[in-house]
Amino acid sequence: MFQEGALSGLKVVELTDRISGQVAGSFCARLLGDAGANVIKVESPEGDPYRRSGPYPGGVPDPDWSGLFLYLNSNKRGVSLDIESPGGRAFFLDLVAAADFLVLGHNSSEVERLGLRREKLSEANPRLIITTITPFGLTGPNSGYLGDDLIAIAAGGMAYATPGIPDSVGDPDLEPPLRSNTNMAGYLAGVQGAMASVAALLSRKIQGTGCEIDLSMQEAVAAVMPFELAHASYHEPKPRKPEIFGVMPNAYLPCKDGYVVVMAVMEAHWRNLMDLADNPDWAELEVFSSGVERARNWDALEPLLLEWTMAHTGAEIAQLAQDRGIPCFPAYTVGQMVDSAHVTERGFMVDIQGPGGQKFQLPGYPVRLERTPWQLFRPAPKLGEHTSEVLGEWLGYTAEQLLNFGVGHDK
Amino acid sequence: MGWGMINKLPLEGIRIADFGQIIAVPYTAQMLAWLGAEVVLIETEQRLTTRIWPPFAEAEPGVNRSGGFNMVNSSKMSCTLNLGDPKGVELAKQIISVSDVVVENYSSGAMERMGLGYQEVRSLRPDVIYLSLGAFGRTGPMKGLVGFHSVINLFSGLASVTGHKGSHPRIMGGLFPDAFSGCYCVLALLEALYHRSHTGEGQHIEVAMTEALATLLPEAIMEYTLDGTEPERVGNRHKEKAPHNVFRCQGEENWVAISVENDSQFLALAQASGNPGWSDDPRFATPEARLKHQDELEPLVQQWTAGLQVQEVVEKLQNAEVLAGPVLDSGQVLSDPHMIERGFVQSPDHPEVGPRPLGAFPWAVDGGQPGIARGAPLFGEHNVKVLQELLQVTEDEFARLVANGVIS
Repeated sequence: MFQEGALSGLKVVELTDRISGQVAGSFCARLLGDAGANVIKVESPEGDPYRRSGPYPGGVPDPDWSGLFLYLNSNKRGVSLDIESPGGRAFFLDLVAAADFLVLGHNSSEVERLGLRREKLSEANPRLIITTITPFGLTGPNSGYLGDDLIAIAAGGMAYATPGIPDSVGDPDLEPPLRSNTNMAGYLAGVQGAMASVAALLSRKIQGTGCEIDLSMQEAVAAVMPFELAHASYHEPKPRKPEIFGVMPNAYLPCKDGYVVVMAVMEAHWRNLMDLADNPDWAELEVFSSGVERARNWDALEPLLLEWTMAHTGAEIAQLAQDRGIPCFPAYTVGQMVDSAHVTERGFMVDIQGPGGQKFQLPGYPVRLERTPWQLFRPAPKLGEHTSEVLGEWLGYTAEQLLNFGVGHDK
Repeated sequence: MGWGMINKLPLEGIRIADFGQIIAVPYTAQMLAWLGAEVVLIETEQRLTTRIWPPFAEAEPGVNRSGGFNMVNSSKMSCTLNLGDPKGVELAKQIISVSDVVVENYSSGAMERMGLGYQEVRSLRPDVIYLSLGAFGRTGPMKGLVGFHSVINLFSGLASVTGHKGSHPRIMGGLFPDAFSGCYCVLALLEALYHRSHTGEGQHIEVAMTEALATLLPEAIMEYTLDGTEPERVGNRHKEKAPHNVFRCQGEENWVAISVENDSQFLALAQASGNPGWSDDPRFATPEARLKHQDELEPLVQQWTAGLQVQEVVEKLQNAEVLAGPVLDSGQVLSDPHMIERGFVQSPDHPEVGPRPLGAFPWAVDGGQPGIARGAPLFGEHNVKVLQELLQVTEDEFARLVANGVIS
């Protein structure tokens, strides 16, 4: 039996498209579904593009088993409508009129073209909360710009800031700004979209009316960089050169079998670290006598520390250091993380079985709410799986009426 | 107009006891403060972090001058209690008993050792919403590990999908794990407040930063668990789009990001760059062909961008409906006319360092910012307000607490 989620009883309609806000809009709606809301994903008859992006269990393309689609769309039901046709659009607008939330992930020009701004929708549903996620927002001089994850990560300042502390760029001429190979801006904007939506829900409880949330993916990225922005605001932008943090060591160094972060800026940590390194003679040198001195003389210290890290594996260094409370850690592969006793014991991953019996996992939910826990209420929908069910339940159509509209029985 | 201009803010009347450390939980509580909550930051002089870390205004150290502190603690009240002293803990309990929400990210077990764990707090305030965030969470064999953002990056596998082709794992910039985990915390707290608003029920919330980061990696986790495949590092490239990278422009350290997904966008790129021949070249004729010949295609694009200003490239391409954007550094983010006009960049005043721009809400509501960012508090600025006005500590008692070092 499922428990009620925090948002049980609330209705969400999601409409997203390719290029811009797809991951963001889909993830935002999923998060509302994760909290128990009744989420309807509206797809075109061709289906969401991520049904075709994989990865697939068994490697065989199958629109019902594309990994990214499964992840972004669990805890939703699926309705297939051609909103470019008058009939499909009418159904869509009726669903929106019955909803508490409309989540959109589009380019701003598309939002306007589809007529999905608040002034167009509020008459039919004044309590509707519209959460619109676009690359650069609905207003401002660049609102017409197109964008995707790369563009948002670049224009939001994250690419320039990567690699970040304590990693650093060796030769800025050879090393361009960097993005992670994930849909990071999409997930970020998705979580922030859900935050904004629930904040608007609390507001609706006070004011009685809905609102239009205009979330920009560019700003979603910039908003998670308070430390980088503080540098610009308070002192100066950090150059993309080997960065001295002011106190050392806080460094990302190669070791025997990979890379490791060595952080021992506090005196107690530094003395413990030198203990681990068998207290070499240089540890007593005046030039390394404080965190500030060690930063000032980092060029001399780095090769000495490297000698030690290169003689040990990342796991050895982490074990030795963490036993003494020094925050050191090696670079894990995805497999090392997934297989770690920590992740297993906390039961974070979700086990899934593919159509051919293939077993695999997807990330679970990173927040444990005691009274309103996250639950996998339902897996991602097949294309059009719940069309007649939802149109009947939300809009009161009978099966016969729906057949007359050309909507058949659900698969 | 935003809510702040005409109406009550969504969290007006909610009080939060903030035991946040460094970035993640302070960031969380700051967003709730912007949304109208009254946030009491409880600081201990003996355990200061960001207040005494750089960057400082004009590089001049001082507990009220740190950007690292001021940019994640704006709009809060500061109350300085020595939590190493039982009297200080007693006062913290009194603050909690008049608060709706408690948030903390001390190391695992620290709040319990001070007598401020969830069970104790619930006996003071049965409907409390209590959030604990840990690098690795509060359970599991690694719950005691010390972990800053770099450790989270490295453990979660995020670093392993970040890096140039054939090169080593890299650490994402911006102390990303802290703020991203903080976003999940804000979402959870808002949900819990909504739940409480119609059930009267509080609850405990636990968050692991490592797990927050792992939610970014569904495809890599799926592939590894299917057949042991580890993701490759691909720099800025994409499995379906090419070109998809950053390219140098005129001057030093200037780049533009360009992303092309389909043939019509590529044709538009070829024409806008004055190279209509590209689209006839069989190496670049289809998305598959372009993916295969990226090593040859990227230098051609680079040759074109290298002679132009970033903004020229962006405008030429956006006018042709090709996805392009500037690679901004953090200074450029804060001075970006577009984000300033949208209200994302706010400059709350501060008595010691003056107005300083910060990044506020990444969303607008009905055309305005959905809350208000005020300056960060001075160290202990609200001791009298919190202890005397809110808790009714008498003036004499207050003076004694100061003399005994319970209040800093």
